[in-house]
Amino acid sequence: MKETARFRSWMNRTIRSFFDQKGYTEVDTPILSPTLIPESTIENFATRFENPFLPSAELYLVPSPEIFMKQLIADGMGSIYQISHCFRNSEQLGHIHNPEFSMLEYYTVGFDEQDSITLTEQLFSSLLPETGCEDLRPPFDRISVQEAMRIHAGVDLEKHQRQASLADEARRLGLSVPDEPESWEETFNRIFLTFVEPNLCKDRPLVLEKYPRQIECLANMEGNYRKRWELYVRGVEVANCYDELRDQDVIERYYIDEYARLVGKRSESGSVIPDTDPSLAAKFASLPPCSGVAIGLDRLQMLLMGKTSLEGVILFPLSGMLTSGNTRN
Amino acid sequence: MIKAGQIDKGTALLIKGQPFVCIDREFVNPGKGSAFVRLKLKSPSTGQTLSETMKTQDNAEDITVVDRDCQYLYNDGENFHLMLTDTFEQIEVPMGNFPDYQFLMKDGETYRCTFWEAQLLDIQVPPKVVFLVAEAEEAVKGDTVQGATKYVTTETGLKVRVPIFIKQGEKIRVNTETREYLERVNN
Repeated sequence: MKETARFRSWMNRTIRSFFDQKGYTEVDTPILSPTLIPESTIENFATRFENPFLPSAELYLVPSPEIFMKQLIADGMGSIYQISHCFRNSEQLGHIHNPEFSMLEYYTVGFDEQDSITLTEQLFSSLLPETGCEDLRPPFDRISVQEAMRIHAGVDLEKHQRQASLADEARRLGLSVPDEPESWEETFNRIFLTFVEPNLCKDRPLVLEKYPRQIECLANMEGNYRKRWELYVRGVEVANCYDELRDQDVIERYYIDEYARLVGKRSESGSVIPDTDPSLAAKFASLPPCSGVAIGLDRLQMLLMGKTSLEGVILFPLSGMLTSGNTRN
Repeated sequence: MIKAGQIDKGTALLIKGQPFVCIDREFVNPGKGSAFVRLKLKSPSTGQTLSETMKTQDNAEDITVVDRDCQYLYNDGENFHLMLTDTFEQIEVPMGNFPDYQFLMKDGETYRCTFWEAQLLDIQVPPKVVFLVAEAEEAVKGDTVQGATKYVTTETGLKVRVPIFIKQGEKIRVNTETREYLERVNN
C-alpha cells in the first residue's frame, strides 16, 4: 500500500516536471459540471445542486476534463495538461476498471496526432527505469486498424465498406451475426474484439492508428480514415489521441447525432441523460490546430509497477468500499 | 434463451450443441451502438476453452443446471472421485477437465458442484481457501530485503509464493483463482 502511494506520488511529480519543462501550463478544471459533451458510449453520474436562493439543478461528474480544457485552449491558453479524476458510470468493477479513475490529459497546440505519438514516447521514457520494462519502452510500434484487421482476421476493410459485406466476412470467420440490422461499426467490433484486439502485439507498446471513417469521432479525416490512435501496452488500452477536428458544422452534426443516440439508449434503461450546451460546437470549432491525448493513469501505474490488475494500484477501489466499507483494514 | 448481457460467471450455455460454462466475462464498450460482452467459456467434457464476443443484446441458448453437494474423495492420477452427498452415488471425472484442481481441493471436503443432466459442469472451489503450509524453506538469515518472497507447498501440493516470514505448519489464505497468497491466518 505504501509502495503504491509513493509510486503514484513520484509518477505525478515526474509527469508534471516533464510537461512543465516543455512549457505546458498545468490547469485545474471542475469535475462537477451542469452540462457535458454528449457521448453515447459513456454513462454518467448525476447529483443535485441545492441552494435556498437558487433553482436546484442537476450536476454531472465529468467523464473527462475535455469539455473545460478545450475551452481554455480556444481562449488562447496554449498547450496545457491536467491530472484529474474522471467518472464513468455502469462500468464493470473489474481488474482494469473502476468507475472513478485518474486521467492525464494533454493538448499541444500546433501538433497533429503523429507529433503526439513522439511526445507520448518521450513521456514514457521519462517514467521508465534505465533498465527493465522492455515491453514498455519506446519507440512504440505502429499499425493501422486496416492492417491489424488484415493480419489478425484476414479481413480487407477496403473491400468491405458496407455492413452487409462485412457481416458476411464475420460469418465466414465463424461469428454469429443475427439478421437484425446493425451498424458497420458494430459488425466491425464483433470481428475486432474477437480476433484483433486480444492478439495485438504485447512485446512493445503499440499505437493502433488510422481508424476507419465509419467509426465516427471528432478527429480530422485523411482519405478513408480518421487521425486518431489508441495506445496498447501489454494488450491493455491506456491512451487515446485525436488530431482535433475544428469544423463547426461537423461538430454540431456529430453532437446532435450523439445526443439522439444517447437519449435513445438511456430512455429505455432509465439512466442519466446529461444536459448539453449547444454553444460548445462553435467554441470547439475555434480551437487552434492541436492534438489531445488522454492516458488512464491508474492503468499506466499498474503497467509500470509490473501488475496485471488495478487491485492494489487504486488505494480505495469502489468494489472494496461497496462490499466492506471505506476503512482500510 | 437469454441475452448475452445477462450471462454471468457460472452461466451454462449450449453452443453448437455442446454445454459450456462461462468462466469469465468482461463488458466492453468499444464505441457507438451496442455494448459487447467478452465471454470465456469452458467445456466441462473436454476442458476446452472458447472465447466468444457477443453484443449484449444477442441471444444465447442457456441450459438449466442444478447444484449438488459432492464430497471429494481422492484422485487416482487420472480421475477425480467424488460422492454425491445426498445419494452417496460415486462419480468420476477426468482430472484434465479441471486442471490443477487436485492442488485446490482437500480430501474429504464437500464442494458445491454444478450438473447438467448427469454431466458435471463445474466444481465450485471457494474463491479464498485456507491451506496448511506443509513444506517451507527456511528464511535466509539476514535477508531483510523488503518484499522478499519464497515458495511454500500446501497440504494439497499447491506451490504458493509467500513472504519469507511464513513457516511450515502455519496456515495461509490463498486466492484460488490467481493461486496467489493473500494473508497469514492465525489459529
